[in-house]
Amino acid sequence: MLKRLSPILLPLALVLVAETWVRLAGVPVYLVPPPSAVAGRLLSDPVFFAGHAARTLLGALLGLGLGVGVALPLGAAMAHSPGLERTLLPLAILTKVTPVVALAPLFVIWFGFGWAPTVLIVALFTFFPVLVGAIAGLRSVDAGALAFLGSVAASPAEVFWKLRAPSALPHLFAALRVALPLALIGAVVAEWLGSDRGLGHVVGAAHTRLDLPTLAAAVVVLATLGAFLTALLARAERRALFWQP
Amino acid sequence: MRATQTARAIADPDSAPATPAVRAHSLRMSYDRGQGQWLPVLDGVDLTVATGKLVALVGPSGCGKSTLLRILAGLQAPTAGDVALDGQPPEAARRAKAVGLVLQEHALLPWRTAVENVRLGLEVNQRAGSARAPDELARDTLALVGLAGFEGYYPHQLSGGMRQRVALARALVLRPRLLLLDEPFASLDDLTRGELGQELLRLWATTGATALLVTHSVAEAVMLADRVLVLTPRPATVAAEVRIDLPRPRPPDVEGTADFAHHVGEVKRLLRGEVASQPA
Repeated sequence: MLKRLSPILLPLALVLVAETWVRLAGVPVYLVPPPSAVAGRLLSDPVFFAGHAARTLLGALLGLGLGVGVALPLGAAMAHSPGLERTLLPLAILTKVTPVVALAPLFVIWFGFGWAPTVLIVALFTFFPVLVGAIAGLRSVDAGALAFLGSVAASPAEVFWKLRAPSALPHLFAALRVALPLALIGAVVAEWLGSDRGLGHVVGAAHTRLDLPTLAAAVVVLATLGAFLTALLARAERRALFWQP
Repeated sequence: MRATQTARAIADPDSAPATPAVRAHSLRMSYDRGQGQWLPVLDGVDLTVATGKLVALVGPSGCGKSTLLRILAGLQAPTAGDVALDGQPPEAARRAKAVGLVLQEHALLPWRTAVENVRLGLEVNQRAGSARAPDELARDTLALVGLAGFEGYYPHQLSGGMRQRVALARALVLRPRLLLLDEPFASLDDLTRGELGQELLRLWATTGATALLVTHSVAEAVMLADRVLVLTPRPATVAAEVRIDLPRPRPPDVEGTADFAHHVGEVKRLLRGEVASQPA
């Protein structure tokens, strides 16, 4: 019992300390909201937070889908052709080293308020780790298995689907573990700067009003969302990679 | 299959007029190391394996044995020289799935069960497909290597010896005319190694395939082979040949006989001699 509870003991203690400190020291709510006020704000309007959370979740997942959808075929092509890799990798690295956040205002000008900037920013955030994972994964094939398939004249497509793609899965899951938090960050930033919906927008709007209970509540929802998605991914990974030692 | 076994009984490797299962003539192989530098690996290898025979290749490590096997399997082309398998280029044998390749590391696909691994060679390149259902054939072949009942096990659930049996089955299920074995038992402990050697002898005798076995173990070569070819250090040539005239079948206790010790000593002497004559 204690073992199962131990991971949440420290956060619980911190919440208690914060609550006590804020009350005893009389810290104003526009500086540090007491946890009870944050919880109260959450419970007073769950539909409000759920609606914005759904928007953020969908934006993050659509963007991640786009990023993965572009990175996978491109990674496959680059893993296949070193020449193509040399040509395209600098451009791909550019998406990694550019603080994509700086592009957000530009995307808002180009694509307007709404889905498009969010999805595109998230796709740019998540594209690079998935690309690198795909290239590394598709190249990390067992030389013996490759030789065996060669000895029975397997076609390149057969080698890809029967050997390379499954061999790439561990690398791809590692890449997704990196990309998933990035997707949430990207969605929040994009919504903050270029949307009137989503938790990122809630955080931005609450900030201008100094409405710290709402801001903190949105952060709590985001953290929950992140934890939930990470747990879901870990579960999918364990299932897909059951064969890993 | 019966025809091959008859052929084995009457064919003499030195005077056989029939087309040999393997014939390699002055094979040369060099690897480009860049900047005009070439690393010679094979330096004019000649070898002939008569149909139905089991021939072992021994040589110092890194001498190019594996490269030789890759060339025979049609996985890479030699820099110079010819190869013919049953009188055909290796490429034709490869397309017909006539070569069964077994490697040192079992090289099984970890996400496939034993039976799915055995089926792998049947699934690809279907032009040369078999009439029988792949699953049925794979099951029978697993039973043949002593793994009936383990069809649904994944490689990580099997012991090293069992994994290597699955790898053997994956090659045998193709009904290959030629088995190419690249140190197949090198990663196993001594006891398992001996067991699998006996298993290989049994399978080779029942299938009638020709087999070429690369090994580090002189005792293993003498135990299994009709002829042992001794290679020089890199760049490799065939330095000598030892005919092993121990009678078959060869149960494990053959190892204790004077004839066996004599052959082992001879092969070891040839190996040492070549190593010693190599300039440092």
